[in-house]
Amino acid sequence: MSKYAFWPGCVARGAAPELYTSTLAVAEHLGMDLVELEAAACTGAGIISDGEPYLQDVLNARTMAMSEQMDLPLMDICSTCVGVHRLAAEKFRDVDYRIRINHHLAPEGLEYRGTADPRHLLWILLEDVGIDKINSLIKKPLEELNLGPFYGCYIVRPERTLDFDANPTRRNSLEQLIEILGATSVTYDGMTKCCGFPILTMNKKNSLTMAGTHLDEAQSKGADALVTPCPLCHLNLDAQQPDAAKVIDRNLNLPILHVPQLLGLAMGLEPETLGLTRHVVDTNRLLNKIGA
Amino acid sequence: MAQQEFIIQRYNPDTDESYEESFNVDVQPGQTVLDSLNAIKWEQDGTLSFRMSCRHAICGSCAMKVNGQSMLSCQTQVDAAAERGDPIRVGPQGNQHVVKDLVVDVEKFLHQFERAETWLEPYEDQDPPEREYRQKVDEFDHWSHASTCIHCGACYSDCTVAAVDENFLGPAALAKAYRFVMDSRDAKREERLKFLSEEQGGIWDCTRCYMCVQACPKDVLPMDAIMELRTMAIEAGHTNNHGVRHHKGFTSGVRKRGRLDEMMLPIQSVGIGRLLTGNIDAHKEMMDYTPGAIRLLKSRKLLTIAQRHGANAEGREQIERIFEEVEAEKHHHSVDADAFGAEFETALGGH
Repeated sequence: MSKYAFWPGCVARGAAPELYTSTLAVAEHLGMDLVELEAAACTGAGIISDGEPYLQDVLNARTMAMSEQMDLPLMDICSTCVGVHRLAAEKFRDVDYRIRINHHLAPEGLEYRGTADPRHLLWILLEDVGIDKINSLIKKPLEELNLGPFYGCYIVRPERTLDFDANPTRRNSLEQLIEILGATSVTYDGMTKCCGFPILTMNKKNSLTMAGTHLDEAQSKGADALVTPCPLCHLNLDAQQPDAAKVIDRNLNLPILHVPQLLGLAMGLEPETLGLTRHVVDTNRLLNKIGA
Repeated sequence: MAQQEFIIQRYNPDTDESYEESFNVDVQPGQTVLDSLNAIKWEQDGTLSFRMSCRHAICGSCAMKVNGQSMLSCQTQVDAAAERGDPIRVGPQGNQHVVKDLVVDVEKFLHQFERAETWLEPYEDQDPPEREYRQKVDEFDHWSHASTCIHCGACYSDCTVAAVDENFLGPAALAKAYRFVMDSRDAKREERLKFLSEEQGGIWDCTRCYMCVQACPKDVLPMDAIMELRTMAIEAGHTNNHGVRHHKGFTSGVRKRGRLDEMMLPIQSVGIGRLLTGNIDAHKEMMDYTPGAIRLLKSRKLLTIAQRHGANAEGREQIERIFEEVEAEKHHHSVDADAFGAEFETALGGH
């Protein structure tokens, strides 16, 4: 059984509880042992660092030090979390900076040694679990579905922190997972762009124009749903979809799935178990299409 | 010699026609996308239009989209752009009006530099130095990367905010503004930070999507510059805007619970102070959030306060300790910085 230090992130433990429950459900079937980092803090998501970059770095060094202390690989389930963790890890290659940061970790017996390699569940599925194992667990191939990938910025940029060269599957990890599960991946311009969520409270019109444009494009290219490894994207694409439709003046009706929900459906898990009844955009039409 | 297919996005302004056209080009090892465009123009279709000049990644003329990403075509080799024998797709820069084929009107992009007044404003109360205005080496080292911009427009072309908002200053102009904010020879630092904080389309409209960092052929790191501008603007006291309230609300939530507090954040971004003093705009903004909040409640996404998951008790205690330590260290540093500033001014003869 493979064991991971598991950082669920704030949104999976808050406004997107279905991501958390579906992750646990899928992990159990995959034989993954997830040890949740209950004492860890929010990554700061680039928002704490707007004014307090040093503070955000300390919080992330602490989380990565916890995974080191447990001697377990660190798993995120949020594009933003994994991106921010990796950006922090990049900064801590500077030994002097790491020493300075470690002063704040010592009082609780932690030290960040610079070895963490934070990865997203999506990458772990392809790199650790592997295609064969996933294939062996598929009970219901999703052959009828056309699915648009929606990555979330930090899992695709900046490339220098993501080790794409050493791990080429990371470049199109979502398309690969979609195809492994038997569905067809829909290509569209917006799939690697910003969902708009980070500026929702600063500039609602810009934020929802972004979400609406990408949803409309994917829908017009025949997507039945979008799949995202980022719960922040999920909030803007799902919960804000009715408002986004008004802003761009189009009809939008596109369910947004989290990565473990998609995998769970192919593994034959119940929609209720996967939290598919907890979405703003109704998932029934999608579920009927695959007879779930 | 191998053959490579190029699919070029074309536009004919005389007929207002947009179309894709395919060309096959014989390519040598090391051949660039720009070499290939020249080969097409010289040997196959002389009407194909694109900008180019230096062919050495210095002039910034030939930025265009190659397989959907903006880059300098003279710096991009065919081998690197071609995946598994797929055709290479070439198109004009995004977020700007296309004049013909791969040529865009750069007026809007260049206008942003004028808006941000990105040129040196020397101290008027000082006589010009006998020779040049000099910058300290260690200061220059901190921002020299931001001074290497060649105005190619690749960042603006891929910017996700410029795509939806003509008014956004954009990554290049903001990075250039950062370069002058950082320059100790410039007299307008305070005015610049105020302008960049308050201007519609300023530093708080960036989504942090990293498109500009990825697109920039010169590693200017525009987004990192925008983030540093935010930190400096907050330190300079330009805090009366949604972006700063969002930052402060978010950070205080993490201090209290160890985790983001999604229920309080919209209220904090609008501003509790603004709401309590009866600011009409603030109340309208709150009303705007209501339908979204109701949708979240209906889909059982917003949990009750008791169910919301924060860090465990031990974690919260440690997080509070870290916040206190970092605050104390920051105070200590700002005292150091003041002392350094005074020393620096004395060395300059004071201004």
